[in-house]
Amino acid sequence: MTEWAVELEEVRKSYHTGPIEVRALRGISLQIDSGEFVATAGPSGSGKTTLLNLIGGLDRADAGEVLVAGENLQRLSSGELAHLRLLRIGFVFQTYNLLPVLTAAENAEFTLLLQGVPAHERRERVKALFAEIGLAGLENRRPAELSGGQQQRVAVARAMVTKPALILADEPTANLDSATAIDLLDVMERLNRSTGTTFIFSTHDPQVMERAHRLIRLRDGQIVSDEVRAGQEAVANVQATAGGGL
Amino acid sequence: MTSGLLLVKLSWRNLWRNPRGTLLTALALGLGLALLLISLGLLDGGHEQTITDGVRLGPGDVVVQAKGYQDTGSDDLLLSAATLSTTERFLQTSNIKDDVQGISPRLLATGLLSSSINAAGVRLVGVIPRAERSVSLIPQRMTKGLYLDDDALAEVIIGAGIARKLEAKIGSKVVLMTQPLQQPTSNGDEVSGKEMQSTLLRVSGVFLTGVPAIDDNVVEVSLPVAQKVLGLANGQVTQIALLLRHEGDSPLVADDLRRELSGAPVEVLTWRESLPMLAQILGLDHAFNYVMNGVILTMVGLGILNTILMRVMERRYEFGVCKAIGLRPGQLAIMIIGESLALTTISLLLGLTLGLGVNHYLSTSGLDLRMVFKTGLPPALVFDPILYSRLSVTRIVWSVNIVFVIATLISFYPAFKAARTELPDALKVL
Repeated sequence: MTEWAVELEEVRKSYHTGPIEVRALRGISLQIDSGEFVATAGPSGSGKTTLLNLIGGLDRADAGEVLVAGENLQRLSSGELAHLRLLRIGFVFQTYNLLPVLTAAENAEFTLLLQGVPAHERRERVKALFAEIGLAGLENRRPAELSGGQQQRVAVARAMVTKPALILADEPTANLDSATAIDLLDVMERLNRSTGTTFIFSTHDPQVMERAHRLIRLRDGQIVSDEVRAGQEAVANVQATAGGGL
Repeated sequence: MTSGLLLVKLSWRNLWRNPRGTLLTALALGLGLALLLISLGLLDGGHEQTITDGVRLGPGDVVVQAKGYQDTGSDDLLLSAATLSTTERFLQTSNIKDDVQGISPRLLATGLLSSSINAAGVRLVGVIPRAERSVSLIPQRMTKGLYLDDDALAEVIIGAGIARKLEAKIGSKVVLMTQPLQQPTSNGDEVSGKEMQSTLLRVSGVFLTGVPAIDDNVVEVSLPVAQKVLGLANGQVTQIALLLRHEGDSPLVADDLRRELSGAPVEVLTWRESLPMLAQILGLDHAFNYVMNGVILTMVGLGILNTILMRVMERRYEFGVCKAIGLRPGQLAIMIIGESLALTTISLLLGLTLGLGVNHYLSTSGLDLRMVFKTGLPPALVFDPILYSRLSVTRIVWSVNIVFVIATLISFYPAFKAARTELPDALKVL
């Protein structure tokens, strides 16, 4: 049996806003293989962020199964989820979310420290990664002294430095101009190719959609299309989920 | 660097994200501690001063007097010369000798003092001037003339209130009228019917203690004069007042004396027993001040809570990110408690500097209460208008500890709130 990097089976999630129930995900089934470079796209409220939150173990599904690297997240405790996030998953957020009181290098080292990686190894890994993604020389700058694009690269470095199996990026280019966004996508794509890390990001941005090797479109909490691209044969993988969808 | 050190580093740097805000907060909290130290210093200084002045203008730290005198105040209750000599001998030879600063036998009675202008009822105190100087404050409070000499056999010193009433000056002649004391005979009957005695005396000094009950009533003569005018030929006295080097030794010295004089018809009282009103007032004052200190500490605590809570609320998103990337709730809580402790430490340093600085000034220059009580000092509490702060190391350690403990306990709530940051809600971009 194939072990997917990420596998979702009939996943449902609802939120309550006062008396109103918002059905964010309506029975999503999905498999993502290791090393894929996947974008989820769709209008606001389509369920992109909820999907990433469930895959990242930041939230729990109401029903269905979410498996990441073979681990069924529904069966893990909060502590086990935190441990999984620390060791296996990297996050890149829309608004960079670096710790303002730490330097760029310290921000990147943060998760390594939490993992207990020795100092010399931390420094070497951060130095190498910074050089690879064009941040060399900026190690000692605080986030406030960096541009938006540089901050987001540091965020990518923080996510990548632990060599996770999976990177989740929630609209990583939303606050960047188009040239900077392309630079960031170059960095992420290069890392995806060189390390084999699976990337899943949500986006509104057509540029990002263009660069994705696989584009999953969502609407009203359902997958409406799932196409594999980037030189591969485009497959309109229309999934018939329990909640419906194309 | 371990993750523990990282948390310390994060806490410290987080504290200085807004240096002005941190310093203002630390200053506010420091002021709380400084107020506490100043309040305790003045309280303890005031009490020490009040006790010292109270006992030195009254019966001393420990007093030996005839049994029943405390309750009746009867001038006829006297100590025999034998009791006096036994007491003096014991205090000179026993191991408590070093605890005793002064011993003054006194003979107390009432009389009428007349000048050519007026007359006033007085409290007559017969003293051995040299001995009285070692116990009483009155010799130090002479405003006119001089205190009595040991060989002053026709002189009297009087309170400023009496001098005013009699319009007496230094050198004025006054007549002291006294009734000889009623002494029990060998068969227990009292001798009565002795005639009033009139004695011509010269005013040699006027004192002002600030206590109306003393200034308007007390006159002092030498002990032989008092014994003569009161018809006592056998060296009796009313009381033996003891001033100790340390007020706190009063109960021990009193116990030793009680044991030594156990066969004699005497009572040995500490100042708390002989001046119960003063002890009660000081007790009430203590209680009131503890309430005030509680208010100060509550304000300090609320200040810390408000500050740390605001810092936590402002950084909910950041905590969400920290949790998302793997920081455990306990580590988040430690980070917040670390920030709180760092802030508290800075506050304590500021508070100590400020509080000890002001206390040093108040302990050397004092606080002149005449600026506050323009119409007169509260007589029961303070005799000296200059109040000197006295702050013991124990008080300082207690204050610092209590503020530190309160700050630590209070920081648990914001830390708990930070640790409970809910994912993914905290990650929603506002």
